[in-house]
Amino acid sequence: MYAQVVLFEGFDPLDVVAPFEVLSAGSDAVGGELIVELVAAKRPGPVVSGTRGLVLTATAVLDPSKPGFIVVPGASGPLDGDPDAGAETIPVLLARFAETGAVPLIRQAFDNPEVTVATVCGGSLALAMAGLIEGRYAVTHVLGMDVLEATGVNSVRARVVDDGNLVTAGGVTSGLDLGLYLLERAYGPKISRAVEILFEYERRGTVWVNAGREPVAV
Amino acid sequence: MTAIAGIWDVELKTPIGSLAVVYTFVDTDGAPAGTANGRGETVPLHDIVVDDVAGGEHVTWRQSVTKPMRLNLDFDVTVAGDSLSGHSRAGKLPRTRVTGTRRAA
Repeated sequence: MYAQVVLFEGFDPLDVVAPFEVLSAGSDAVGGELIVELVAAKRPGPVVSGTRGLVLTATAVLDPSKPGFIVVPGASGPLDGDPDAGAETIPVLLARFAETGAVPLIRQAFDNPEVTVATVCGGSLALAMAGLIEGRYAVTHVLGMDVLEATGVNSVRARVVDDGNLVTAGGVTSGLDLGLYLLERAYGPKISRAVEILFEYERRGTVWVNAGREPVAV
Repeated sequence: MTAIAGIWDVELKTPIGSLAVVYTFVDTDGAPAGTANGRGETVPLHDIVVDDVAGGEHVTWRQSVTKPMRLNLDFDVTVAGDSLSGHSRAGKLPRTRVTGTRRAA
């Protein structure tokens, strides 16, 4: 089983590092069975994040045939600014990623029954911009929820949304909750609880799934 | 023939920048139809409604684009002579201004 965490230019470091560390600790707890790696769409090598020039290094190329998880982070950058004037706002960074060679690879991942595509923060918005998750249930950073809905996604206000082979999480720190939920899905609650204890962090909120009763308006 | 029939150069704003789009409206037996061409993509317009107003026409329609990103858009414009102006809306996002000029025949 693999957990490939995708890097792209302008990525948000915490979106990447939170699930990367949680999944790595989970991998240790199952004797190393889960191979956690940082990947890029084109080639291995350093990738510059959107925060103060922090650089992380992809050690492999994104491979949609590897069974397990693919985690797509969001972007870090200014929110305001005129894209026409060249401002590299978060939506611009996400849209740029949505036009790279990562998109056909992620499309293949959705078609692979052994892969679950997961996103943190604006990662879901990037996939939505590329038209990959139209009609699906998903969440993104709270500031991007209107744009997410405008792309034709059923936006859900929850920290983590489980839509089968698409598991999405809200802003930034929700990457911790995503990582813990993926561990629970794959290996069970004893593994995710062991990582919670190590990280001194309890997963927050209810994981939303499109199932069960609808709440009556109160 | 409706006032909006013809070819229009329109500019609209998206969350990731302005888009230059060429709209072509035709009027077939009183049923208006149209297409939008932008960034190499041509999409049909749906639910076109035309109302006569003082000085021109009020026109609304829906369309989807995939470039520069996937968006489902609602348009609301007023046509007066060779200009159109109004706004477009994508879901709950703030309305954005739309302006257009008719191309000379």
